[in-house]
Amino acid sequence: MDAFFESGLGLERFFNQPFNQDEGKGDNASPDYNPSQSSSSIDRALSVSPLAKIIRDTVNMADYDHPMHDDIGLGPSVVIHEADSTAVKFEASNVSLPMMNSLRRVMMAEIPTLAIDLVEIEENTSVLADEFIAHRLGLIPLHALGADKLMAQRDCECEQYCDRCSVRLSLHVKCTTDENMNVYARDLIVQSEGDDRYPQRGHPVINDPDGNGTLIIKLRKDQEVKLDCIAKKGIAKEHAKWMATTAVGFEYDPHNNLRHTDLWYEQDPKKEWPLSENAKHEEPHPEGTVFDYDAKPSRFYIRVESSGVLPPDVIVKQGVEVMQKKLAGILHELHNSGDNGMGGAGDEYDGPRSPDVDAGGGDNWDGFQTAYGAVNSTANQSAWGNAGGSTTPGYGTSYGNSGGYTGFN
Amino acid sequence: MGKQAIGAIAYNQFNRIDTLLYTLVYPQRPMVITKTIQLIHYDKLPAGQNATVVVMSYSGYDIEDALVLNKASIDRGFGRCQVFRKYTAEMQKYPNGRKDAIVPPMTDPQTGERIPKHAALDDDGLAIVGYKINSGEAMINKASPVDSMTTGIGGDRGPEDYRSAPTTYRIADPAYIDKVMISEIAGDRSIIKVQTRQTRRPELGDKFSSRHGQKGVVGIIVDQEDMPFSDTGLCPDIIMNPHGFPSRMTVGKLLECLTGKASIVHGRPSYGFGDAFRSHPVEEMSKVLVDHGFSWEGKDYFTSGLTGEPLEAYIFNGPIYYQRLKHMVQDKMHSRSRGPRAVLTRQPTEGRSREGGLRLGEMERDCLIAYGASQLLLERLMISSDGAEFDICQRCGLFGYKGYCQTCKSTKEVTQMTMPYAAKLLVQELISMNVGVRLQLEDEFPHPR
Repeated sequence: MDAFFESGLGLERFFNQPFNQDEGKGDNASPDYNPSQSSSSIDRALSVSPLAKIIRDTVNMADYDHPMHDDIGLGPSVVIHEADSTAVKFEASNVSLPMMNSLRRVMMAEIPTLAIDLVEIEENTSVLADEFIAHRLGLIPLHALGADKLMAQRDCECEQYCDRCSVRLSLHVKCTTDENMNVYARDLIVQSEGDDRYPQRGHPVINDPDGNGTLIIKLRKDQEVKLDCIAKKGIAKEHAKWMATTAVGFEYDPHNNLRHTDLWYEQDPKKEWPLSENAKHEEPHPEGTVFDYDAKPSRFYIRVESSGVLPPDVIVKQGVEVMQKKLAGILHELHNSGDNGMGGAGDEYDGPRSPDVDAGGGDNWDGFQTAYGAVNSTANQSAWGNAGGSTTPGYGTSYGNSGGYTGFN
Repeated sequence: MGKQAIGAIAYNQFNRIDTLLYTLVYPQRPMVITKTIQLIHYDKLPAGQNATVVVMSYSGYDIEDALVLNKASIDRGFGRCQVFRKYTAEMQKYPNGRKDAIVPPMTDPQTGERIPKHAALDDDGLAIVGYKINSGEAMINKASPVDSMTTGIGGDRGPEDYRSAPTTYRIADPAYIDKVMISEIAGDRSIIKVQTRQTRRPELGDKFSSRHGQKGVVGIIVDQEDMPFSDTGLCPDIIMNPHGFPSRMTVGKLLECLTGKASIVHGRPSYGFGDAFRSHPVEEMSKVLVDHGFSWEGKDYFTSGLTGEPLEAYIFNGPIYYQRLKHMVQDKMHSRSRGPRAVLTRQPTEGRSREGGLRLGEMERDCLIAYGASQLLLERLMISSDGAEFDICQRCGLFGYKGYCQTCKSTKEVTQMTMPYAAKLLVQELISMNVGVRLQLEDEFPHPR
């Protein structure tokens, strides 16, 4: 916990209280809590830490039909085990497995960050090909705090890119010495006018002690690279360069009490399978306990490691936010589509859906016709036979225009 | 898969112009080696990458040796390769003193811009280095003299005109101009070489192989969040189906995986030997794994990325050196609905380069006959191939023309029929060899009287 407060990442603000080290028994932080008085579970959650509240809100949105849970007294809670500038390890309890897995997936794939997406190469006399350098530039981590406030490039009014939807970086290096020269991420110069709220936005992430950042290319004497990079907002679903996380650890039930997995062993599973680090937070079921078939996992150990573009706490927070937005979109759509079926009038949520069956309505394509049968006048002519009545024995009668068979109409 | 593997071929690979050159964008030295690999300094010119492989079944898209690839790994450069191609044009000199020439690009008379075919050309008629080139565009705008035969002595002079004979780019996927070289060869002739470059990321159907002959094609590319992962968050680059092991008995691959895994968890800088003769003992490797909190046999607890539930079984995983082989779908995929036909037989051409059709061969034909699919047979062998209409005189049994029989000097009994053009060729060929062929026709379904 000490390390956590020293990290100075604003984590205090976010996960302010309570930090239940004693196995995180959710709501015990609010002694005056009375289930009969609270009209909604959100009120109850107010007494818990903000993250828990957000998670709880999201849970309630997910369980839209029945907000009143069976385990009504146990709201979600979060206990932070470790936190520093690159990773946060926390335990979430009283949440469902699909919920936490969704959070994991969203944190990996859908948090908007910044990455170089467009490279305009003016001069490249280096040994590497243009698209090789462009690929390398794309993978350079850029500070993404405030990236979510940036416009998406396809929504922006500008023709190609502008300061509202992108950050422009330039690189111009030439080796003039006999010794080979290294070009690092620190040589990228931000050209765009930044946002005062996020001074670091779009700058390359530099964590190494020498302050160099990622190595981009090595140049020999007289080799030159001059290019402009356009960094855009994006998510990792599109390309992994927008991924804010590296490894995301996710585990529950370290003692396998629920028997979700089979212990494969030769002699003794206890000897052959080292317990995970999270095992110390839970007790194994004592031997001889009757197995509960209905037991569901409720405590999850998640370790989010940041790639450096965002602080780990922001990743978790934004993950929850993105998830809330997605759920809100679905709820919104469900509300609006009450009278005219799926994909009704208010199509503000443009999530994926199959095309309307009767779109347009006026097509003369009735669906059950073959392409040949669609036009009546030619319906009973063969596709290749001679229309004017075949005189060829063997083809004319069975196939051609003897009447009788009228196609599919 | 030695010769087929893509990798670094020589230190001067970017200075030379090979007819066809494949290079890997990020080659890695193998983590697990044999003595021979060490002796030949394989790590100086490697051809492959250390992939984190998980041996499990995933989604059914990995049956029959297919591989499941992690999309994020591909995004980050796994298996990415460059393909270089050479195009040459020789500037010939003709006996009458005329020469081939490189002519400037043509411009549209209205707009004054280059015609689309010459979009990649510089003013000198050669492609610009760095430009993207699409199918059908010219790279070397050569022109040959129309008159190359006349002697040029006295009044024997042909026309002064030139005929355009450019070297064009014919591949469907675009490429970039990498190098343009002008040189001279024996006989004072100049030669122009253009090298094009493509950068390719692995796609569905591309072929990969480990060093144990376990080759397979990419069956599906999966988002990283859908991939299984270990409790530490480790996510595989490749998922390989376990059915590849029992019948092939590639124990070396298991050893490589285990040795490699022990090497990385221990952070050992030296090579691990994975061959059967001087490998690090399995017991030792297992001990290293156990010392670092892993199971002794290389298996780990994995969670399904789709549901978040743990996989029922423990999964064998570790680094395995994987090679990308040069068989790529982009070079092989082909389809045809309509297209060119051969002049002589009027049948569809053959082969991808000629945009050819797919042959329904004898054995396939036999199947259709046996099954009785007569209409399908008719369609495949006639309608979609070389069916043609012919006039046939029913009196003499020979071909007529435009409803008139030249032999009988009559139009009376000339009738039409459809038959394969190849059959007509056969008939004519036989006739030309003095074998009389007569076509006798009758109604297959006679009109009931």
